[in-house]
Amino acid sequence: MARALPKGWNVNLSFASNGVEALKAIEAGKGDILFLDLNMPVMDGYEVLQSLHGAGMKTKVIVVSGDIQPEAYQRVMKLGALTFIKKPIIESQLSEVLDAHQLRGTSTTTIQHLEVKTDLRDVYREIANVAMGRAADFLARLLGAFVVMPIPNVNMIEVAELRMALDEIAAGDNVTAVCQGFIGSGIAGEALLIFNESSFKDIAELMKYDGKIDESVELELLMDISNVLIGACLKGIVDQLDITFSQGHPMVLGRHIKVADLLKGNAMKWKQTFAIEMGYRIENRKINCDLLLLFTEDSMDAMRRHVWHLLE
Amino acid sequence: MELGKIDIREIHWLMDMFQSIDVGIIVLDRQYCVHVWNGFMGNHSGQPGEKVIGSNVFGLFPELPEQWFRRKVESVVMLKSRAFTTWEQRPYLFRFKNYRPITGNAEFMYQSVSFIPLVAANGEVDYIGVVIYDVTDVALSKRDVEAANKLLEILSRTDRLTQLNNRGFWEESLEREFRRVRRTHGPATLIMFDIDHFKKINDSYGHPAGDEVIRNTAALMRQASRETDILGRYGGEEFGIILVDTGAEGAAIMADRLRLAIEASVVHHDGKDIRYTISLGVAELTEGIETHKQWIECSDNGLYAAKRGGRNQVVVHKFTKKTAAS
Repeated sequence: MARALPKGWNVNLSFASNGVEALKAIEAGKGDILFLDLNMPVMDGYEVLQSLHGAGMKTKVIVVSGDIQPEAYQRVMKLGALTFIKKPIIESQLSEVLDAHQLRGTSTTTIQHLEVKTDLRDVYREIANVAMGRAADFLARLLGAFVVMPIPNVNMIEVAELRMALDEIAAGDNVTAVCQGFIGSGIAGEALLIFNESSFKDIAELMKYDGKIDESVELELLMDISNVLIGACLKGIVDQLDITFSQGHPMVLGRHIKVADLLKGNAMKWKQTFAIEMGYRIENRKINCDLLLLFTEDSMDAMRRHVWHLLE
Repeated sequence: MELGKIDIREIHWLMDMFQSIDVGIIVLDRQYCVHVWNGFMGNHSGQPGEKVIGSNVFGLFPELPEQWFRRKVESVVMLKSRAFTTWEQRPYLFRFKNYRPITGNAEFMYQSVSFIPLVAANGEVDYIGVVIYDVTDVALSKRDVEAANKLLEILSRTDRLTQLNNRGFWEESLEREFRRVRRTHGPATLIMFDIDHFKKINDSYGHPAGDEVIRNTAALMRQASRETDILGRYGGEEFGIILVDTGAEGAAIMADRLRLAIEASVVHHDGKDIRYTISLGVAELTEGIETHKQWIECSDNGLYAAKRGGRNQVVVHKFTKKTAAS
């Protein structure tokens, strides 16, 4: 974000890593303009907007988000945001927005030399956030509902940790899972989509499947949603990194099974995997699904290369 | 290779590849008219490209699931994102012959399908690519594995000699039933019985005769029981019957019927007639029985009492704290 700010813009920049910090900084008079992400830990962007709105603060808020569902836009505008910029941020676009709202002249005159240290994991998280947002937008359009989007988890994990992560997702419920392989530009991996058992009834309702939800309807729904989520997410990643992937055919890993059985039988050859975990929930519905993008260890060199390329 | 640099010869062999590649490739426009139809599609459908190009695909192939197909294509167009369907959703999109009509045993070609949005320069999706994969071998081997697993499951819980549930599976069933009754508080009764003087039968007639006696017992047990009863061979000559939704009284009647049937039966083996009897213990699952093992002990107590009482009889055992301690 800071990287995209216009060069020579005389402002004091403060960073806040969550909503609470942002509000504190504003109360301390550190903010005339707030660039606000919607997906944050502790206190999300909607809550920040609500608090500012409630306190009658005059801070101008520009929402910068990967959550590009039309409804997300409507909600933040209703909460008093000045405008909305979609991630990934394009420098020229940001300048246009600032000019359009005549913000370039209003700031303090302190010149601050800005050195932004980039943590690679943050970059991965941003990329994942944008990809996840696109997938959420697709899912929202497919289901005609608002998708609640938390922050993606980005981690290098061991086999045992993957099991733990899966256990957490399932929360004791039985699950159904689909996997789909992808490869290209030196990067290989698998997307794993996991549904909690209880999700199907609501999904069927949203997708207007009438009648009994039998095994074949469930499979149909499962494939429709995995096409949309996995497809959009991978596309979000290849578009940002400017690479291409071939995708294999999706495969049902197991239906109505315990999470522990999901990985059983696959004496896994790998030790570590780079995992991006994205949980999706549908507002006011009992739909819970988790999308995991698992990258092979030997993909990481290529991944870093493509990411650095992106940052240059 | 870059467009514009392709010379005419390259187009020629590219087309050759495209015609010969062993997957089906179709391009449709938004009105579902065929624009591209490669050799695979021509050969398998019996409709060559020159006949189908320009025609509506649903008109050409009325067996296509039109509504389903449209749904997939519409979402591909709307989201500009690929979609995949597998043979598990629908065994096939186009009904083609199995590629191995002689040695293969599938009736048709199982297919998985990819739908690809073909985005024009203006960003619109005017055409949709459809790729058809022959996955017959994968599908059949998966079905075979599933069938084999099912058989294996049945075998692993069945007693070879009697075809009754074997001890392991029967005891699991008993445990399940025990938990269910604890929840629902309906009646349930367990009968344990064994063959009187079985060792003598083996000693005087030989083991094959003993096996015959055990088979006969299992057969009569099946005749005497209802669909919902769960029958098992518990040990060498010991058997168990779980009677769902039945109290001690009803179970005792059933047990005595079985006792009489065995007593009246004759096993013919190697020119000899073998007559034998059984002793049975009956215990209803009542308050105080805390595990399924304890339930078995109660029925066994009845069984021992029947033995002590002179065999060939039914004894109903009532659970009390005292017998539990003994």
